[in-house]
Amino acid sequence: TLRLICTTTAVQRKNAGASGPEKYTEAFIKKQIEEFNLGKRHLANMMGEDPETFTQEDIDRAIAYLFPSGLFDKQARPMMKHPTEVFPEQRKIQWGEDGRPFHFLFYTGKQSYYSLMHETYEKFLNVQKHQEQMIAQDLPLQKEKRNLAGSRWLTKIELEEMLIEKLSDDDYSRFIQLLQKLVALPCADIEENYIQKFSKEVPVQLQKVVIEPLQYDERGVAFSTGEGKRKTARATAVVYDNGTGKITVNGTDMLHYFPVLQDREQLLFPFQFLGRIGKHDMVCTVSGGGRSAQAGAIRLASAKALRSFVTEKEVEFMRQAGLLTVDPRVKERKKPGQEGPRRKFTWKKR
Amino acid sequence: MAAPSAAGLGRRLRAWLPRIMPVRWSRYNPSYLEPEVKKESYQKPLEELTEEEREQSELKAVRPIKAAPPTLSSSVFSDPMISKFTNMMMKSGNKVLARSLMSQTLEAIKRKQLEKYHKAPENEKETIECNPYIIFHQALKNCQPIIGLSNITRGGKTYQVPVPLTDNRKRFLAMKWLITECRENKHRRTMMPEKLSQELLLAFNNEGPVIKKKHVLHKMAEANRAYAHFRWW
Repeated sequence: TLRLICTTTAVQRKNAGASGPEKYTEAFIKKQIEEFNLGKRHLANMMGEDPETFTQEDIDRAIAYLFPSGLFDKQARPMMKHPTEVFPEQRKIQWGEDGRPFHFLFYTGKQSYYSLMHETYEKFLNVQKHQEQMIAQDLPLQKEKRNLAGSRWLTKIELEEMLIEKLSDDDYSRFIQLLQKLVALPCADIEENYIQKFSKEVPVQLQKVVIEPLQYDERGVAFSTGEGKRKTARATAVVYDNGTGKITVNGTDMLHYFPVLQDREQLLFPFQFLGRIGKHDMVCTVSGGGRSAQAGAIRLASAKALRSFVTEKEVEFMRQAGLLTVDPRVKERKKPGQEGPRRKFTWKKR
Repeated sequence: MAAPSAAGLGRRLRAWLPRIMPVRWSRYNPSYLEPEVKKESYQKPLEELTEEEREQSELKAVRPIKAAPPTLSSSVFSDPMISKFTNMMMKSGNKVLARSLMSQTLEAIKRKQLEKYHKAPENEKETIECNPYIIFHQALKNCQPIIGLSNITRGGKTYQVPVPLTDNRKRFLAMKWLITECRENKHRRTMMPEKLSQELLLAFNNEGPVIKKKHVLHKMAEANRAYAHFRWW
């Protein structure tokens, strides 16, 4: 049961903070947490598992088993989560008994955002002062470059969660600009701790994909398979070693299947990039899509198959040439009230 | 297929700074980088690269890369300028026709130049350029205007103000002038490759109607020099 705490009429008139007056008191949330823990132990006993080592995943599985639901929306199904995930974080009431706000920037409307900006600027001035001191003492300025490629700034949503306050796009971009200015200074290493609060590691992508080893068929010839898609076309390619550069598509030669030069160029692109034009044979099957989509699908499939024949460095080169990414562009849907995806109906004055 | 949704691409993963919500969006996450297709750039050893290039290569090692479009290829025959020109010549998405016209144009240029080569005396044979790609690039370069005009309205009157042009705009104008010139101002029965090859050869020698148009534009800009201060960007 939710209960509004008693507020003075003055408070009720002002629209307090981001999302209205505090709906859940601290005592209420504490009670919810106790009930949740008790419920967790009961559930563990019911399922016959150890109450001490009952994780959230076990809870989800148990609830899905005990209360099966056929509803489409996952968030409409019964769930049992820790109260901090269910009840959104709320700011406490920011003024005292007499109505006087605690924070000195309360009347700006976005107190946490402006206090954050002030703090960051203070660090900036600090770094500048330090830099001037170093120059005055003729000491060398440190130039250790932060690894820009491996980290990113917090997104707007993450920053909003951190500050528990709504931000506008303009505010967010101003904050990021200030951070970038701070990082650009040579002596910014002093404030590294502060900066790390606002940056996140980007996981290095490349080690995700596992390259399959070569397979050998009856004659002892090495081959490898790959699958590719583009728009609605799906293709599978089998690339054989010790070949003459013959390419067979759906049982017919590629010259007959793709009369257009551009498609044939696309088929040969991976081979030409690696310099292995006359060395491999290819047999592929493709279905769906149009002429150009099928060519793109086969290109992706053959590039994936060639990864097994080639060194890791060359795989990296292929990835940077754009041969190993699935092209996500598809036909845009037609919207109601318009004639096509972008074209609007002819505007008539009357 | 599934309807494209900007939110579905993972809003949280984007460290994107939108100032104005863009109307044209792409299916790629903004962190995707453009692919580099040329083989030579991958064979350079690390020491030869400048600082910027080193940073670029480090960034490329971490970020995902977009898929190469079907018009781009690492073969010696694919040229970005020629592809751009072919796309501009294309009507209603008929790429096959546009590409065949382009290849016929280049063939026609080669034939004309070879004719001239065989008829010329010995000492002039070296000055005649036979490579159609070189002729195409040089002709486009000759057609590019240096300065453009833009309409600015002040106090009710619209003035033509001289304005600097970006590289892309210059290339676009040169190509557009060539194509419109060929489509409109020639005899109806001549084929496009013939018309285009004639125009390109004239432009290569700094003659012809397109070069004249460029000179007219320059003269107008020179004449309207007085209004140059109206430009605020």
